[in-house]
Amino acid sequence: MLDIRNLERRWLKYKIKSYAPHIAFASVGAVLLIALPYIWMDSDKPKSPLKTDRFFSTVSKKAPEIKPIVEESPTVLEPSMDFVQTFQTSVLETKRPLSSTIQTTKPIQQEVPIPKVLNLPDTSSLKTPLKSPPIVSIPPSDKSPSLNRNESKLDIESVERRFKDSSNPSLGLFIARYHYDHGNYSEAYNFALKINSINNKIDESWIIFSKSLVKLGNVEQAKKTLRFYISESNSESARSLLDSIERGTFK
Amino acid sequence: MECSLFSKPRDLFLDVVNPRDYVQIDSVSHMYQSLKNSVQKPLKMILLFGRPGTGKSMLLHKLHHDLSKHQKVLMFDIPIVDEDDFLRVLAQRIFGHSPREVMTLTRFLEIAEAVAYADVPIVLLDEAQLYSGSLMEKIRLISDARAIKFVITLHKTDKEDIIAKEHFQTRIWESIELQNATAEELKVYIQKKLLKANCFDVANMFNDKNMKLITALTKGNYRETNKLLFSLFSLYYWYEENNPTLIKYNALKLKWIEMAAIHTGLIRA
Ligand SMILES: Nc1ncnc2c1ncn2[C@@H]1O[C@H](COP(=O)(O)OP(=O)(O)OP(=O)(O)O)[C@@H](O)[C@H]1O
Ligand SMILES: [Mg+2]
Repeated sequence: MLDIRNLERRWLKYKIKSYAPHIAFASVGAVLLIALPYIWMDSDKPKSPLKTDRFFSTVSKKAPEIKPIVEESPTVLEPSMDFVQTFQTSVLETKRPLSSTIQTTKPIQQEVPIPKVLNLPDTSSLKTPLKSPPIVSIPPSDKSPSLNRNESKLDIESVERRFKDSSNPSLGLFIARYHYDHGNYSEAYNFALKINSINNKIDESWIIFSKSLVKLGNVEQAKKTLRFYISESNSESARSLLDSIERGTFK
Repeated sequence: MECSLFSKPRDLFLDVVNPRDYVQIDSVSHMYQSLKNSVQKPLKMILLFGRPGTGKSMLLHKLHHDLSKHQKVLMFDIPIVDEDDFLRVLAQRIFGHSPREVMTLTRFLEIAEAVAYADVPIVLLDEAQLYSGSLMEKIRLISDARAIKFVITLHKTDKEDIIAKEHFQTRIWESIELQNATAEELKVYIQKKLLKANCFDVANMFNDKNMKLITALTKGNYRETNKLLFSLFSLYYWYEENNPTLIKYNALKLKWIEMAAIHTGLIRA
């Protein structure tokens, strides 16, 4: 039966395991997000002055808007205050004074826009895998090796595996029959027993079960089983098998 | 306590093949219709193939159930692999003939000819991959002689079985491939099964999010779905008895679906 406590535990473990890579990923991503602008600043210093100027003059509207968000965290408090000030002073003309105030505050900030624009695709590509946590990690479905049906030799083990998987009594009977025909009576007995536990109304499985018992030398048990089954089912074939065992004609 | 809400749905999803439990799913009933049409055509062997758990045996049983009202149909759900036994059983069950001598193919065809039914009798063979190549060849000859029409199912697992399928195809035949269900079809399958058994409350618990997870876990395979839902409802049954306050009746809990999937091995944890 179900062991709920154990299942709960395994579920928790599974959840933690499936989230662990994301958490690791997320924290690496966060660190990168914070650190990247500075790494960029350092590496881009020599090139930047020319480019930034041009950038600023053409796209001046966009750049300052993005800036304060990331820039806030370190030591610089000034720009944000300017920002507030400009907001308060000029209600409608916010954009142009903004860029000018920022330009004045610190020379480094002129270089910032480039990394930021470049940064954007980076962060988004970092974020997308975080957004869709694949909850489901499905193991490959049924991979029981196929039966080489052209070779007349039968791979009975793969049929047994399938029987275990599907609990299909027909397959079970096939296996029980196979083992009986090949003289593996204890195997035949085992499979007949398994089939009976799935469905105890199948004539043939009782018959194979009893016949295997006889072959294994346990004649009395076989007769007892058959009598019991006949009383339950009135099976003709069970009766005739019992007859032949009692008369000693069963081989 | 037999008034449990979940014991009945649980037992609905036992993995058994019974034509009375057949559920009409659009794509499947389409195939079923074409299967029934093919059976009426002369000189055709019909092959049903597909991965494990896609409903081949179910379709075959359904066909058996429906056809046997009108004509002579015989079903082998357990293969008889011994050639002599196979022919003997056929001769006896179809043509009412039980000869003492060894049953050769020629002898068998003589017997068939002597009886000559108006409608060619139909024999359904499940699990055809278990028959030997040489027996399959005999089956083909019997079919060519119009003594019997065969419908067989072939269990496809990987490349080798596709080769086997090709081997069959060159000799026949009409073939029909069964597939796993799409998310939509799986929903229909589950809902119809539950509604047929009057489990309305439980049927209403399946929302789109639940179905998405179930389809992802089972890949739309009917057998895997049966297993998953069987253990899911066993789980609900357990909570109902032991901790009913945890059950929410408006939707299935994703967590419990995952727990059931862990139990059945769909999720390894
Ligand atoms: N149309 C259907 N209606 C109701 N139940 C179905 C239907 N199709 C499949 N099933 C269910 O799916 C389960 C698996 O189907 P089935 O046993 O027919 O698969 P299969 O293709 O024969 O698999 P295998 O290759 O392993 O023999 C069945 O137990 C049955 O309950
Ligand atoms: Mg089958």
